[in-house]
Amino acid sequence: MSLDLIIFIVLSALTLASAIGVVITRNPITSVLLLILTFFCISGHYLLMNAQFLAIVNIIVYAGAIMVLFLFVIMLMNLNKDTEPQKSTMVQFAGVISGGCLLLVILMAFQSSGIELTQTSTTVSNIGLIKVLGKKLFTDFVFPFEISSVLFLSAMIGTVVLGKKDDDIATAIQDS
Amino acid sequence: MGGMLGIVAAAILGVVMMFVGLISQKSSVIRIAGVACFLILVGVTAFDFSAIHEQGTQLYFNNMLSVGIKASWFNVLISACAFIYILIFNNHITKVGKNDAEYFALMLFIMVGVFMLSTYNHLLILFIGIEILSIPQYILAGSDKENIKSNEASLKYFLMGAFSTGILLMGITLIYGSVGSFEIGNIATAFQGEVTALPMIGVILLIIAFGFKVSAAPMHWWTADVYDGTPTAITPFMATIVKVAAFIGFINLFHGAFGNIHYSWKLTIAILICVTLFIGNITAVFQQSVKRMLAYSSIAQAGFMLFAVFALNDTAEKSIIYYGVSYTLASIGVFAVLIKLKDYTYEGFNGLGKSHPLYAITATVCLLSLAGIPVTSGFFAKYFVLTAAMEQGLWLGIIVFAVLMAAISIYYYFRVIRAMYFTSSTEEITIESNPMEQILLVINAVLVVLLGLFPQFILG
Amino acid sequence: MGVLMRRNAIVILMCVELMLNAVNLLLVAFSTLYGDSDAQIFVFFIMVVAAAEVSIGLAIIVLMYRKVQSVDINILNRLKN
Repeated sequence: MSLDLIIFIVLSALTLASAIGVVITRNPITSVLLLILTFFCISGHYLLMNAQFLAIVNIIVYAGAIMVLFLFVIMLMNLNKDTEPQKSTMVQFAGVISGGCLLLVILMAFQSSGIELTQTSTTVSNIGLIKVLGKKLFTDFVFPFEISSVLFLSAMIGTVVLGKKDDDIATAIQDS
Repeated sequence: MGGMLGIVAAAILGVVMMFVGLISQKSSVIRIAGVACFLILVGVTAFDFSAIHEQGTQLYFNNMLSVGIKASWFNVLISACAFIYILIFNNHITKVGKNDAEYFALMLFIMVGVFMLSTYNHLLILFIGIEILSIPQYILAGSDKENIKSNEASLKYFLMGAFSTGILLMGITLIYGSVGSFEIGNIATAFQGEVTALPMIGVILLIIAFGFKVSAAPMHWWTADVYDGTPTAITPFMATIVKVAAFIGFINLFHGAFGNIHYSWKLTIAILICVTLFIGNITAVFQQSVKRMLAYSSIAQAGFMLFAVFALNDTAEKSIIYYGVSYTLASIGVFAVLIKLKDYTYEGFNGLGKSHPLYAITATVCLLSLAGIPVTSGFFAKYFVLTAAMEQGLWLGIIVFAVLMAAISIYYYFRVIRAMYFTSSTEEITIESNPMEQILLVINAVLVVLLGLFPQFILG
Repeated sequence: MGVLMRRNAIVILMCVELMLNAVNLLLVAFSTLYGDSDAQIFVFFIMVVAAAEVSIGLAIIVLMYRKVQSVDINILNRLKN
């Protein structure tokens, strides 16, 4: 067994375990922390597959920014208790069954498609380097890059529009 | 450079709109600016169309966008529809919440997404286009912040949208995994003859994801609640322009990329059509609120539009544009009358024919068009879509089923008409009407009829 | 699966993030398989869009929380009519 393979197996086990943990635990804070662990494991996978740039971005964007946002909101709402009532067992059962079916179908599809799944982590390449990706991003992919600014702008407007307290109401409450 | 100016213009005008909101707080100024922005947009897309008409299909940015005659003609029509919508609804939009200019800006950003969906040639653009289309909508759905139903609609729409985005991405990934490229052309050449299971699952996941966006039947449950909860001024925009754009994206992908493996997804779409038509029409019959009835009827209309996806030929691609325009205009007409009423149940319409004959007549024309009665454009829309499916042959069963369902739909549309003319109201309906709006409504209704008389205008 | 099982809107959002990460991982794997960096760019865009989506989603959830003091999605069904 090569070192790569051992690392891969350990990482995969850890990823799967923490991902399942996210779904199962009843405390939202634990969920968030497990999700961060999952993201770190996935970054490890990216490194194994020579996608260095994405590994770093994944940690910065997901584990850094998005998860902190989640934690803030949960803390803000004071939800760190196990108060969440369970859904009925029927619904849970249906969820597990449908998830399992999807997993099986996709696995079988992979098997029949004839893609060599075992070779993925061994090929050495430099496609994941910042230099290569950056060049590509600003030449071939410049249009989606520019147009996603529209997406961000609308998201920004949205958070401000939704999050802002309406002044008139505040004054109305004060007056009354 | 002509051809993609629409995208650029919509993005810039959105930013301009926000600055207008900064400069002036007056809602009248903002309204005029909003109408002007959409008018400019129509002009720019028309200019685009004339450029494309001379040059033929253009590819931009390394095959990211491909603007053909059909796509740019669609852009012109959809921005004209959006312009009519803004003209009729602009003073209602400013009443929804406090951030008037932002609502217009968000709608302009949605138009960016619409143009991207009609012209994309790369799956990344499809993904970003769908996101640009939906993210502003989550906000618009929740724009009436004081109303808990609006918040609820927004949250529901968001959770549904995020989930369907995940499914869409999974589909795209599986397609990429079996082809090794994101470009529509490459995918089409790679998929010929028999395909393996992996891309097949990808195609099915994509159908599910688009089913969410266009509210086809098994994935339709969010529609009624979201359309109902969203402020009535915003709902027509969501139910018409955005939905038609999602359909254009749907058709571009399935005719462009998966056209060669039509046999593999034909049956899935056929089942989807039957379920959508059945659930949409039957549930609409039992609704008490006209707004909810219109939501379900929009599901039923989606069932008809799915025929265009189902039928893989030139007629289908033309007929979806025609259907989209006729459906959009008719829905706008009905919603414009609905928003005037305080009571959204059928009783709310009682006696409208006597007290406000003009509103009643325009609503009647639009309802007849939705039901697909001859002379109105709705009839030809359904006719063209069904003939496109007929050319496919051997699927007569579901066409008969569709006609049957169209007959059922007449029942609930006529319930509104009956309430307006044949039931007298106990209390007087008071509608504040201004002549400008009445003229617009009449123009809208006339357009609905004219398109029915001269369908060649759009098809040609 | 998590989306179906949980009732807390925030946890559902987290499960959607998990789905997106599965997609990202698969895309990176395919990209190494084909030696093509297009897929990695795609992953980059997915991350970008996910960030925007989360910010909107949390804003909506906070708005909802201010109204009903809960993030349980069953409340949505109760308010239906």
